[in-house]
Parts: sequence; C-alpha cells; structure tokens
Amino acid sequence: MEDIQEILEDFLIEAFELIEQIDQDLVELESRPDDLELLNSIFRVAHTVKGSSSFLNFDVLTNLTHHMEDVLNKARRGDLKLNPEIMDVVLESIDMMKELLHCIRDHGNDTAIGIDITDISQRLEAVSKGEEIPEVAIEAPKEEIAIPDEPQVEQEDYSQMSDDEVEAEIERLLQQKQAEKQAKKIANPASKKPTPIPEPKAEAQPARPSKKQEAPTPAAKQESNASAIEQTIRVEVKRLDHLMNLIGELVLGKNRLLKIYDDVEERYEGEKFLEELNQVVSAVSLVTTDLQIAVMKTRMLPIAKVFNKFPRMVRDLSRELGKNIELEISGEDTELDKSIVEEIGDPLVHIIRNSCDHGVEDIATRERMGKNKNGLIELKAYNEGNHIVIEITDDGKGLDADLLRSKAIEKGMITEREADVMSDKEAFNLIFKPAFSMAAKVTNVSGRGVGMDVVKTNIEKLNGIIDIDSEVGRGTVIKMKIPLTLAIIQALLVGAQEEFYAIPLASVLETVRIPLDEIYTIEGKNVLRLRDEVLSLVRLSDIFGVKQVYDVGEHAYVVVIGLAESKLGVIVDTLVGQEEIVIKSMGDYLQGIDGVAGATIRGDGRVTLIVDVAALMELARNISVDIKASSEVVAKTKTKPSDYTVLIVDDSKMDRNIMRKSMGPIGVSMEEASNGQEALNMIKSGEYNFDAILIDIEMPRMDGYTLASEIRKYSKYKNLPLIAVTSRTSKADRLRGVESGMSEYITKPYSPEYLETVVRKNIKLITE
Amino acid sequence: MSNKLDQIIQKQQKQITEPKKMEDDIVQLVGFIIGNEEYAIPILNIQEIIKPIEFTRVPSVPAYVLGVFNLRGNVIPLIDLRTKFNLQQTNNTPDTRYIVMKGRNNTAGFVIDRLTEAIRISQTRIDPPPETIHQDKGMIYGIGKREDSMLTILKVESLLKRDF
Repeated sequence: MEDIQEILEDFLIEAFELIEQIDQDLVELESRPDDLELLNSIFRVAHTVKGSSSFLNFDVLTNLTHHMEDVLNKARRGDLKLNPEIMDVVLESIDMMKELLHCIRDHGNDTAIGIDITDISQRLEAVSKGEEIPEVAIEAPKEEIAIPDEPQVEQEDYSQMSDDEVEAEIERLLQQKQAEKQAKKIANPASKKPTPIPEPKAEAQPARPSKKQEAPTPAAKQESNASAIEQTIRVEVKRLDHLMNLIGELVLGKNRLLKIYDDVEERYEGEKFLEELNQVVSAVSLVTTDLQIAVMKTRMLPIAKVFNKFPRMVRDLSRELGKNIELEISGEDTELDKSIVEEIGDPLVHIIRNSCDHGVEDIATRERMGKNKNGLIELKAYNEGNHIVIEITDDGKGLDADLLRSKAIEKGMITEREADVMSDKEAFNLIFKPAFSMAAKVTNVSGRGVGMDVVKTNIEKLNGIIDIDSEVGRGTVIKMKIPLTLAIIQALLVGAQEEFYAIPLASVLETVRIPLDEIYTIEGKNVLRLRDEVLSLVRLSDIFGVKQVYDVGEHAYVVVIGLAESKLGVIVDTLVGQEEIVIKSMGDYLQGIDGVAGATIRGDGRVTLIVDVAALMELARNISVDIKASSEVVAKTKTKPSDYTVLIVDDSKMDRNIMRKSMGPIGVSMEEASNGQEALNMIKSGEYNFDAILIDIEMPRMDGYTLASEIRKYSKYKNLPLIAVTSRTSKADRLRGVESGMSEYITKPYSPEYLETVVRKNIKLITE
Repeated sequence: MSNKLDQIIQKQQKQITEPKKMEDDIVQLVGFIIGNEEYAIPILNIQEIIKPIEFTRVPSVPAYVLGVFNLRGNVIPLIDLRTKFNLQQTNNTPDTRYIVMKGRNNTAGFVIDRLTEAIRISQTRIDPPPETIHQDKGMIYGIGKREDSMLTILKVESLLKRDF
C-alpha cells in the first residue's frame, strides 16, 4: 500500500513539473504552430499524464488527457492546423488538467471536487473530429474503456497482497503499460491509414517516419533523465530549513569567536599563540561563510518557476483585452531563495496585469501614435550584489503625474497643497496607495485599486524596495530590489543611548553626521535638508522610548532608511557597524511588537532587536518631539559638595583611608570598593551616580585597567573622570592607563593636597 | 530472540504506565517566594532555573515584560512576576532566579525572589481558588494546604499567555 502511495507522490511531482513547462510551450507554439519539437514535447506531457493516471486509476483525468492527446496527436502529424480557437480549447483543457491534479494532490482522487469534463471533452472531440475521419474517434473511446477497467479489478487486491506480491504486480502492470504503449504506437499509424486493404508496404512506410521522428527525442530525453537521476536528489524542504537553522547557530558562534579573539588580541598583544589562534579563527570564519553560502544555494530556485506562468497570462489577457502584447523574458535562470520565490509571484501578477491593462494601449491608439502595433512588456531579472532586481518594463502610455495628483486630490488622499510640492516620482508612488485606481471602470482584469497596494505590502514584507519610473507616451519601468535570502541578513548596528538595534542594511540608504543646527522644525516635525531633498527626522530613542541617560553633543548621526518609495532619517547616538545577523523569532509571546521585526544574538551573547523598517516609518509619524530643544540637557542641580559622590577602588584598607582623608576637605560623599569586580557591580546596579572614580591598578579579581575599559564601554560613562592612583610609574604603565580610558594618572606616594586638587579639577568643583 | 525482545518491551511499558497509576494523585511542585508569599508551579512545566543574566529591553510592551534574554541561542522573553502581581519593585539579590517555564507553544523566563523547595502534595489537599479572587485573570490553579502554611499554585498556561 505504501508503494502505491510512493508511486502516487512521484506521479504528482512529475506531473506538476511537466505542466509548468507545458504552459510556456503552448504559448510559444501559437507563434510557431509548425514547430514539431514543441508539439512533440506537449504531446508527450499529455501522454505521460494519461499513462500514469490510467495506471493509478484516475478515470476522469485519463479521459480528459486522452482527448487532449487525440487533438495534439493530430496536430503533431499535421492532420490538424492549430489556430487560436483550437488553442483556447487546448489551453482550457490544460487548466482543467491542472485542477484535477491539484484535486488529486489534496484529496487523493480526481472526483472529490466534482469537476465536470464532459463539456470540454466534447469540444476537444469536436476539434479533433472537425477534419478527421470518425474512425479515430470511435477507436479512441474503446481504448479508454479498456484501460481503466483492468487496473480497477487489481486495485482491490492490493491491500491483501504482501510487499513482494505488490512489487511483482507493479512490475506486471508496468510491462502491461509498456505493451499498451507499443500497441498504441502501432495502432495510431494504422488508424491513420484508413484503407481497409492492408498493403504491407504502404503501412510500413508511414509507420517508419513517425517512429523516426519520435525516436531521437525520447532517447535524448532518456539520456538527460539518466544523468539527472545521478546528479540530483529530492530533499524535503523541512530538512533544508533545519540545516539553515543550524547554520544560523554556527554564524552566531562564529561572530562570538571573532569577538573573543579581538578581546584576547587586545590583552595579550605580541604573544606567540595569538598568531595560531588568528589562523584558526580566520579559517573557521571562512569555512562558516562558505558553508552558509552553500546551504543558501541549496535553497535557491531559478526565478523561471515564477516567470513561466506569465507568457500564458499575458496571452490570455491580450486576447481578453483585444490588444497585441508580447512578453519578453530574460534572466529567468537567476536564482533566489525558495521562500522568496513563493512570495514574489503575486506582486508580479499584479504588476504585469496592470501593465497589460493600463500600460499598453489598444492597437488603434498605438497605430495612431505611430508605435509598433504590438505592445511589448519586458520582464527582466538580474543580480546586483546581495540583491536580485526584477524589472518590468512596458512601452505603453506611461503614468501621467498630473493626472495622478488630481485623482488623488479627488479621492481625498492628499491636499492640494501637498500635491503642489509633490515631485513626479512621489506622484507615481501614489499608485501604491490602497484603494487608488486609475482605471475609469472596474474590469475583470483590474480597477479595484487593490493590486498595487498588495504589491507594496508584499515587497516590504521581503525587505525589498520598489522604484517606479515613467514617461508619458513612452512607457513605465517598475524596479523591485529584493534580498536574496531572509534568514541571515546584513544589518547596520546602531546605538540609541545604552541600547542597540539592528537595522536591515537593505533598507539603509546612507548615514550622515550633521550638526544639530541643521535640524529645522516644520509643523512640529523635525526635518533635515539633505542635498536637494527634505527628509523627516525622528530619534530612534523617541520611537522606542529609550531612557535618556546622557546627552549626545552637538552632532547627530542620521541613518537614512528607505523602504519601497518612502524615506526617513533616523537619528541614532552611535553607529556600531555592519554585521551579519541571524534573524531569531521572539516566540509567540512577543510576536508582532510594533517596530520590532525579530531579534538576533550578537557576538557578545547579548540579544539585539531588529528594527521593522516599515513599522518604524509608521510609528515615526505619530512622534513630534522637538529634537533641538530636548537635546539641551536638564543638568542635575548639584549645589553643595556633598551632592557629589566619588568612588574609591583599592584593595588595601589603608590606601582607601588615605584617599578618604585627602579628599576630606572637599566635603564630597565617598563610597568604597575593594576590587574591580565589586566596583563594576556597584556602577552597573545604578544605585549610585558617581562623579569621579579613583582606581588602584593592582587589585585582585579585576585590575584597574580592565575596570576602566569596562566602564568606558558604557556610553553614558564616556566622560566620567577615572583617576588612576598607583605605584606603577613606568611610561608603559602610564600609556596603558591612557589606552584603557583613564583620565588622570597619580603615582604613589602623593601629597594629600595634590589628590585633592586633581579630584576637584575633575569634578569641576572649585569652591571656597 | 523476538520473545526476549517482547519481554523487555513489555517490562518497559509496565514501568512507564505503572508508576503513573501509583502517583496519579500526587502532584510535584516547585515552590518559590515573590514578595512575602509562597507560590508554586508544577515541576513538569519547568524547563530550567537559572541565575539572573543580562537581558535586552523590548519597547512598547507592558512594564512587567522586562525584555528578552539569550538562553543558549534561543531568544526568550523575561517577565517580572513582582510587577505582574503589582508588588513593589526591588533590585536583584543573590537569591534572585529566573524560572524558565515551558507551555504548549510558549517559553518564557520569570523573575522570582527566592526558590524554596520541591514539594510533593496530594491532589486531595489542593482546593480550587476562592471565588473572591477570580478576577485575577484565572492565574491561580488552586490553593495547596500544608501542615503549617498555604501555597498558591499558579497556572502556567495562563502565565505564559500574552495578555496585551
């Protein structure tokens, strides 16, 4: 029984692969009706499906494919001239065949959804009968009855059979099928010669050429099949997904290793083992990257999988709309991730429909305009860095920016003032707005104003960018830029105060550093003049409600993000750099948080959130904070010396006391820690707000240098005075002190007055 | 040969099914303190208990969702039960732990003040929650009675349910 299931699965896979090809072939066939090669391959599809389905007992499908086979067979032998009317019938029957196959896939049989094929069969029969002698038609049903009958009986036995018996049975059936095929091959030419008197010579002759025609192709096919079997295996998508997840973990591990190596390199500079470690680390990172690319490639599919259905669609549309439209496809072997291939189909359908309906004019208009009466739509795909670009070009009437503007005003989407300042490019982008349609009336094809909206959402979901360009009377170009893969992305890491966020690099257009004076306020919104564009600005910390812990100074970093057609400037406090990140889900509990697309784990093991650029733009609209005003810090008022707190870090109780005594005259509050780790914990806990820290270098658990560099990792302590108090006096020690972030260096022994002055100077407390 | 195998399999199956029957009415819980009260959750819902580690704040969520943390490569939400139970917030102490609980389709870490002990309690000694505290969004599974104290047994599924 399992064997049958396996055969069924194989049958379905094969059938779906075949019908994908057949659509394109059929459309091509219409332009070259005499191409025997094409006809043969189409005939073979019908034939194969018929053979397999009769073997598997799918009567409806068998019946249908049988009729198709009839028509195609005649066309193949030149008995029937294909014209568009016949093609319509054939195409329709192929659609029906697809439906039946889907039905079989979903329900396990071809009768579940009750497709009625009598009508189409009759029409097929009429087509084939139209110019043929009825003998064939009579013979055909005979065969059709004969085939389903036999397996039907056997089908019932399968459940009682042992595995061996089933195998034997399959063997037998296959042979039988072979024999049938053989018989049919002989029968077909025979039926072509209706002469009742069998003249041996005359019969042999027509048989031979037709065999010859067929002989080379099946042989070639077999050959390619044989090599294909050796070189490819089918793998469940689930397994690839699992593999991809594991690679993701590995990439995280690699990032972590690189980070640790950096730290080690800093600490043990010049040590011999570093060289070796370096080699290992780079080798691991190289192999990981290669591995990642290799696995990504296994998930790649040629975009032809999507493109293949368009010739047929354009053909149908052009017949329906009464236009002559040609579709030119190039770059269909460009590959991209399976999950993206699945998502990209719908948007493309909408765009191409639009091009057919709104773009390309009807024949009369085209002739009047002096254009070629055949409209041309070009569908192009190519790689550009880590992205794939899909370009849809039509030579139709183009978009009229003014018309778009007035239409948008009419629909109340924009005000007249907005329309006045709108550039042509912005006007083109209006077509992506929901419920916006330029079609005068709603047709079967388009006009409901849903399509382009869907396009935009789908492309944004894939982190893609859409660009539209058009010229009235010349045509429209729509360009989509989509990342190659979804699981691992390049991201720009930015800091907002103490928090870090990852922005998908695909959406980052540029980063600029600007003085705060250049930020203007228009109607409560912050804007920046960037070259000849006006860019709205928003602070990342305002969007995500990040706690303001330190002020940013005179300058701001602006990350310009672009998605589909809109742009936004996001002010961040630090730019960390570009990194490869693995997208991790945050689980059901935190699914769909506004502005957050997911999370990733960085090299240091911390979780960093990934910004959802589309949602961010939406959120930014509701924020109006005067950036310039709010950046003027509300300094905490410290009036008396005891408001200031100084932390003393030293492992010797005596030294701590000396420092306490020295600072006594200033009157500041003092806290103590006996080693670096303890001090760091005190600082991290946030309970204290230190104005200066005195640090001894030689300490157990964590020395002064490490403590200083740990403290400097927090951007809010960037300017906190760290004063080294130590008996290490060599120049190298002082240098290390500066490197680790110390702001002053006092060598022991020191006079109490000196320490006092230094502390006073550093906390800017010069009173009395 | 196959006889032997059958015997072993049967034996194993007995081991699996029998103890269950015996302990069917005994519930194993892990007790912990939040504020001044002792709570407990079924031991089978606990994935692990860890010491506090660094977490990342997540924007636009209720205050009791502290953020997310990295548990060996998985990103897991961290929920502060003190805030969720409307108690005063305190700083972490050396006794603070994260209990990582696993539900049917969710996993989350919960901050608790202190662990107490593993508890075995008979099903008969667990009362349904009193009617008056029903408004507590059904977070309570029952009240366990012990010799000298009471124990609030929490419903893990409702703790893990997103309610914002």
